[in-house]
Amino acid sequence: MILIRLEQKQIIGIKFNIMSPETIRKMAVVKIVTPETYDEDGYPVDGGLMDRRLGTVTPGLRCKTCGGKFGECPGHFGVIELARPVIHIGYAKYIAKILKVICRNCSRVRLTKEERSKFLERLKKYKGSILLFEIFDEIIKTVKDRKTCPHCNAVQYEIKFENPYNYVEINPEEQDKRKRERKLTPIDIRERLEKIPDDDLIFLGLDENNRPEWMVLTALPVPPVTVRPSIILETGERSEDDLTHKLVDIVRINKKLMDALEAGAPQPIIEDLWDLLQYHVATYINNEISGMPPAKHRSGRPLKTLAQRLKGKEGRFRGNLSGKRVNYSARTVISPDPNLSLNEVGVPLEVAKELTVPVRVTMFNKEFLKQLIRNGPHKYPGANYIERPDGVRINLARVKNLDEVADKLDIGWVVHRHLMDGDIVLFNRQPSLHRMSMMAHIVKVLPGRTFRLNLTVCPPYNADFDGDEMNLHVPQTEEARAEARILMLVQTQILSPRFGGPIIGCIHDHISGSYLLTKRGTKISREELIDLLYIAGILEDVYNKLGDKKEFTGKEVFSLFLPDDINIKFKSKLCKSYGCEKCLEENCPHDAFVVIRNGKLIRGVIDEKAIGAFAGEVVDIIAKKHGLEAARKFLDSYTKFIIAFLMRRGFTTGIDDEDLPQEAIERIEEVLQESIKKVKEVIKMYEEGLLEPLPGRSLEETLEMKIMQILSEARDTSGRIANEYLEKQRKENHARIMAITGARGSLLNITQMAACLGQQSVRGERVKRGFINRVLSHFKKGDLGAKARGFVASSYKKGLHPVEYFFHAAGGREGLVDTAIRTSQSGYMQRRLINALQDLKVEYDGTVRDARGVIVQFKYGDDGIDPSRSDWGKTLDVKKIIEGIIGEKRER
Amino acid sequence: MLDLKPLSIEWLKKSGIIKHHINSFNSFIRRKFPQIVREHDNIQTGTGYLIKFGEIKEPIFKEDYVDFGALKVYKPLVIEADGSKRKLYPLEARIRNLNYFGPITLEIGVYKNDEELDYGEVTIGMMPVMVRSELCNLYGLSYDDFIRLKEDPFDPGGYFIVNGSERVLIIIEDLTQNRIMLEREEKGMKVVEIAKIFSKRGGFRAQIKVIRDKDGILYCAFPSIPGGVPLIILMKALGLEKDKDIYDAIILREDPEIANEILINLETFGDIKTKDEAMDYISRKIAPGQIKEFRLKRTEHAIDKYLLPHLGVNPEDRLKKAKFLGRMALKVIEFGLGRRLEDDKDHYLNKRLRLAEDLLEDVFRVAFYKFVQDMKYQLDRLIHRGKRISVKVIARSDILTERVRHALATGTWVGGRTGVSQLLDRTCFMSTMSHLRRVVSPLSRSQPNFEARDLHGTHWGRICTTETPEGPNCGLVKNLALGCEITTEVSEEKVEKVLKDLGVISIRK
Repeated sequence: MILIRLEQKQIIGIKFNIMSPETIRKMAVVKIVTPETYDEDGYPVDGGLMDRRLGTVTPGLRCKTCGGKFGECPGHFGVIELARPVIHIGYAKYIAKILKVICRNCSRVRLTKEERSKFLERLKKYKGSILLFEIFDEIIKTVKDRKTCPHCNAVQYEIKFENPYNYVEINPEEQDKRKRERKLTPIDIRERLEKIPDDDLIFLGLDENNRPEWMVLTALPVPPVTVRPSIILETGERSEDDLTHKLVDIVRINKKLMDALEAGAPQPIIEDLWDLLQYHVATYINNEISGMPPAKHRSGRPLKTLAQRLKGKEGRFRGNLSGKRVNYSARTVISPDPNLSLNEVGVPLEVAKELTVPVRVTMFNKEFLKQLIRNGPHKYPGANYIERPDGVRINLARVKNLDEVADKLDIGWVVHRHLMDGDIVLFNRQPSLHRMSMMAHIVKVLPGRTFRLNLTVCPPYNADFDGDEMNLHVPQTEEARAEARILMLVQTQILSPRFGGPIIGCIHDHISGSYLLTKRGTKISREELIDLLYIAGILEDVYNKLGDKKEFTGKEVFSLFLPDDINIKFKSKLCKSYGCEKCLEENCPHDAFVVIRNGKLIRGVIDEKAIGAFAGEVVDIIAKKHGLEAARKFLDSYTKFIIAFLMRRGFTTGIDDEDLPQEAIERIEEVLQESIKKVKEVIKMYEEGLLEPLPGRSLEETLEMKIMQILSEARDTSGRIANEYLEKQRKENHARIMAITGARGSLLNITQMAACLGQQSVRGERVKRGFINRVLSHFKKGDLGAKARGFVASSYKKGLHPVEYFFHAAGGREGLVDTAIRTSQSGYMQRRLINALQDLKVEYDGTVRDARGVIVQFKYGDDGIDPSRSDWGKTLDVKKIIEGIIGEKRER
Repeated sequence: MLDLKPLSIEWLKKSGIIKHHINSFNSFIRRKFPQIVREHDNIQTGTGYLIKFGEIKEPIFKEDYVDFGALKVYKPLVIEADGSKRKLYPLEARIRNLNYFGPITLEIGVYKNDEELDYGEVTIGMMPVMVRSELCNLYGLSYDDFIRLKEDPFDPGGYFIVNGSERVLIIIEDLTQNRIMLEREEKGMKVVEIAKIFSKRGGFRAQIKVIRDKDGILYCAFPSIPGGVPLIILMKALGLEKDKDIYDAIILREDPEIANEILINLETFGDIKTKDEAMDYISRKIAPGQIKEFRLKRTEHAIDKYLLPHLGVNPEDRLKKAKFLGRMALKVIEFGLGRRLEDDKDHYLNKRLRLAEDLLEDVFRVAFYKFVQDMKYQLDRLIHRGKRISVKVIARSDILTERVRHALATGTWVGGRTGVSQLLDRTCFMSTMSHLRRVVSPLSRSQPNFEARDLHGTHWGRICTTETPEGPNCGLVKNLALGCEITTEVSEEKVEKVLKDLGVISIRK
């Protein structure tokens, strides 16, 4: 065993300084003088940009400087000695500010002694914070209009900064108009900056490690070859990186400038070349300068230079640092599996063989791991790699004799084994809008090619099975695995921190089934019940409660799943669809009020409000009273049970669920015709000037509002008629059941299928846009009637008239457009919110602070309550507590 | 109930579902293409030489080529390495990665001082041929012929073959050219009414605006003038010197309110009285800081070429332009006074669909222009070097061919638009048909653009209500309805003749 002595160091901070030309020159391994990259034979030219001393790009060659191979050598910097200094475009504005503050003669900051000491005090206070620059701005404001320097009394001239890197000094005295404005060359600027004494630097936001003259470049560092690799196109040609192209330009111009200077060329030519050099160096650093045409590739596309590499979504920060591509991940289509527990995930065999978990060999697992190695990478369960303590990795796919290697295995080695049942993985669906979009699941390796998940866990992921794909990540270290298991396991997320209730729960058929089970009249024989309980997996636990009974009611059966101390009362979802004036609570004739006493369902039907994903009172109370594991078990067993029950009973729907007797159809038709007539009347009133405008609205607006109101009522009324008749049907109407229990759909869906679609609308108004004064040419100009502006009187079952179909399409299109726009808008908003809120933390003193320690809230949420532990958002639900107690007592 | 189905079936059988592309391409070959060639005839070089084409007549369709007289467009040919020529069919083009193009020949003559130096028929380039069009080798063949040639008789055609890949020119939906449209713009606080027109002549497109600001002053903005010029001044520069003339040009009938508006404008700029003063004022805006002569020259150039080019690009057309501006001014004033409504930019009356005909016209115009430029250059070179003048040497066919081929192959069109030509979707028959009937709006995908994405009443019978993609393109990418017919351009001259016969008087007073 090798003991490694670790010396722990702590990083206090990071500081970014301006690099001095001396450092740059010291860093460099080569001086770049020639613009040629490769010579005729294809070898990199010495003193050129692809010099082998800068690093190596080909896997075969070794770096001349450090001897590293392709992957090892990190590359080394070179340097270009600029013939003339050039402004660093990134600092251009900063330099402008400095020039405005210092004296043109002695280069000292133009502050008086008192001002100096005053500012010094403030600067010392804010040392190290970003607010220093605000003080600098204040200094600028104080100083800029001073005509003379307080120290040397020299007269000052105004300095104008012209984009993007030109500085002009204006001498108001000078008579000659042309000589008034003098362009400051980088040499002039550098001289002035050099003269600034170290003491004055603090007023500028700099210090002795950040001398301002270093912002005017004399030596340009050349990034190593590894930073700007060339690519080989399909044709075999070598294409250089954009940065290399730009550097070539720089070297070329630099050479020309040097030659011109030596040869003693005339001023204008020197200036031209210098200008060009400045342009090239500026675009090399940032190619998106405003006011400058971007440097373009031969093909016309603008080059991607240093600043572009860092900016924006695909840039270094957002695209490679905050978010990266990772190993040990997988992605496939998802499919449902009701037989998995809610915190399990079904992993395809192929995936499990590719994703590995690193395990350190100890004396307890040595034999087990040896067996895995013998199985090798192709036989499951096996292993893919072995790591020796000296760091050598053995790829088991290439090993000839696995048994040999297995025998060599010893304590301290690391085996990368296949993913196996019981491992913890992170499971995620994009867009990841809340923390429940990524939860920890327990692996269950299954045959097949899809990830499988339990249905109750669909709502937090917002997943459906119409082709959705999800991602899986395998935590690699023990710490990560532990954190996932303790903090992120699915059951820990059952209660949502948004509203304090369950976000994981029963959906769709679970709810329909529960209604059918627990409504009055449902009876199950003992035999059947035992079968179903076995499927649910709780037979052994509840067998005792069965006693001798031969028949059980649905409510009794449901009670078998409840722990004995639950006492709650609430209105079921059914209640709403009856619209009673006053709730009779326990005596509700529709059986719509749920009463659970001492774990027994006494009254009421179990539907969405009881066990559903966003509202489930029962799930909520079990999770809060008995813990998350109990909630998980409840959901696992109950869902299995209810699905089996429903399968045996059978459940379907068809067009006959929307069948209405002739009487109903006539009544609906009557209502609709009435309303269309009423609309005509209102229009007539409007035309005759008899319509009274509503307060604050114009006449036209009032008209439209009234019409929409009439028609909306028409649809609702016809829907009510349909509902009335559907309720009275002999056989239970399954579509209606799904709607009123909250399983799927709503009364609106049924209305539209059976009775009437109603008014189609675009952005809140009746359909308006089309031909002049009418939507379609089928109508007369100026027709404001119901049908002319998008009222569809037919139902889906009856079939739509082509004109009605057109209006319906217009309304439907708006919905699609809306969704498309909304997702991108909300995505941007979410990003901004997250960026603003992500480092807020609740400290041990109860306050909410950000990364700097600034207090944002004195108590979390001003009440100190964790919403996921609150009762549907309320800190304390007194009524429920009382019920909990009274319920018990009442029994006695 | 009368069963109308057989009617629709017969209608569809008549020309197929892709006929819009084929009709468009045929129209291009018959009308637009010879027109472009004619427009570039009579080329004067700086050195006193004249290049003239032979006479271009109405097309006659022969077996292997279309005969325009001096201009001939051949059906697709393949020229092998040994020089032999053979008819090219789409199948071979696809397999061998060839271009399904046909050679274009033109009779060109070089003259100096009326003396003919050379005359000959040369190949000036290759014409891309739309599969199944009149120029295609498969046109008019029977079912059995197709089988014999191993071509698919049910393939709809309507696409081009470039470098072996099938390329569709996607139909682009654009605002109508040369039509005045009223729009209201909000610049922060100020709301301003504008009459806009996209004036197109030949390949050149300019946007001219007449703006009415909140004080009622009218400005006119057109390319090459930064900012706008007061309308009154511009009209004076165009020739309407007297206030009464301007008043008459704008107002239509007696109306005190509008008269007032015009008077406000006339008074504000009353100090500029003559045409010359007006020109001077404008010239200062166009080229400030230059000598007067130069300024005026540029101004004249700008007014002729960039202001309402669809009315003409010569000094004689200035009066017409002034009257037209008067019309625009009246509209904008009425709009400002609340008498006119803003134009609905999504009403299909205000939209035009640009198919192969228009798109190819744009490319060919530029390509031909470059070809002519090159001819002049080559001619000058020959003269300079004292070599013998030969038409075959002057006319280089690769320029035309390469430009057209590159545009079709990459989808990058003149004017910067990308994605104009797309690789034909061959996933299944339905997807191919859908691709060939796609209509794309040039509006930005990243903006919400709610109104443009809505289903509009005028879409009835023209654009499909249902087929549109989900996501950022929703409502911007549309598909033609089954019963939709797209007309090809009708010649303006014919319509003008009819109008003249009916008694319409031309403005040239």
